[in-house]
Amino acid sequence: MAKARALDKRRRAIRNIRKITRTMELISTARFRRAMDRATAATAYTRRITALVSHLARSGLEVSHPLLEPRPRPLKAILLTLTANRGFCGGYNAAVMRLAAPRWKALQNEVPEARLEVSGKRGIAAFRFRGVQADATYLHFEHNPVFGEVEILADRYLEAFETHQLDQLEVVYTKFENLSRQYAVVETLLPLAGIEGAEEEAGEAEGTPYEFLPSARSILDEVVPTSFKMRLFKCFLDAAVSEQIARMVAMKAATENADTMISTLTMTYNRARQTQITSELLEVISGANALMDEG
Amino acid sequence: MSELRCIVVTPERTARDEPASFVALPLFDGEIGIAPGRIPLIGRLGFGELRITGQDGRVERYYVEGGFVEVMGNVVSVLTGRAVPAEELDEAVSKELLDAARERVAHSPEAMAVRERAVVQARAQLRVARRARIGGTR
Repeated sequence: MAKARALDKRRRAIRNIRKITRTMELISTARFRRAMDRATAATAYTRRITALVSHLARSGLEVSHPLLEPRPRPLKAILLTLTANRGFCGGYNAAVMRLAAPRWKALQNEVPEARLEVSGKRGIAAFRFRGVQADATYLHFEHNPVFGEVEILADRYLEAFETHQLDQLEVVYTKFENLSRQYAVVETLLPLAGIEGAEEEAGEAEGTPYEFLPSARSILDEVVPTSFKMRLFKCFLDAAVSEQIARMVAMKAATENADTMISTLTMTYNRARQTQITSELLEVISGANALMDEG
Repeated sequence: MSELRCIVVTPERTARDEPASFVALPLFDGEIGIAPGRIPLIGRLGFGELRITGQDGRVERYYVEGGFVEVMGNVVSVLTGRAVPAEELDEAVSKELLDAARERVAHSPEAMAVRERAVVQARAQLRVARRARIGGTR
């Protein structure tokens, strides 16, 4: 009976694990929906800003701003790495780290003063494992990043950039392209590569003649930092959405694996039980036969 | 007379999308009032109080922090990083913000500009909070 009981015990353990992975899958599905809604809202906001920029460009204003000017010889740079606070999400954190660790090494050679900032426990631990201590760490960006919190970060970077305490900001995060495709990327956010909508041809003023208050230039002065903030926010949102998708996929696979294991174990268990019954029957019959022979 | 439609959008959500009869906005260099039938406008917002008078004459107050306003036809779209109903502001918190902003050390013109901005922002927030507490009229 020993073998069958051991098998049953294992089967029960796997059933429990399956319950957990299934629940985690459901939770991340719900979180994914929420994060997705937020990303959609942010996109709506960004679209409006883009439309605004194209109106500005159409009015004949040349789009230029200190944040858009490349700095030829960067002295101070920050590498911001966005990872998850938790594991159980497949290759999500590993993919980001595979990109972040070499980039960090390269950046240290390129720039005299490089700072490493990491968001998420997993990233912090991974860097520590590689013997790198991050200069700043953040743990409070969870499954739905709040704009206010990202803005605090963004304001700090903008301030540092304006006062020449920072020449280059790079972010390593997982870009969300669509439901079935997310990948880790390194993006340079400061100086900004350009803002969307600025390519509109000037003079093509078929649109509405807007009145600009206080002036088109002043509006541009505000648009550029806002555009940067939105980009940074988008990075956090993309990372959050991708994390939930990665966890959903990983937990779905785990649940399915548990299912196959349970069915194999059930089969083995049944077989073991049947063998046991057969051998017991044989014992009883042969015992009875022996008695009959004697009598 | 035609109606205004006032949409307040933040990066996280659409905070408000309802008809209004009059909207007062804190522009970067002073307040502006928008009544139905205004010519198209794009404006830069400052820090301050956004007042929306609804159809029933009731006034909604929000504290907004920078951003833009676009008036097109009879649609007023307010794009802002933060839009908080004025009653939800905490005067004590705003006061602390102001004190913190004042005490910042600034040694260069750029740093002084940054500090100036922080002070103006905290002052505006405090003003809106006070006005909401005193209740309505200016």
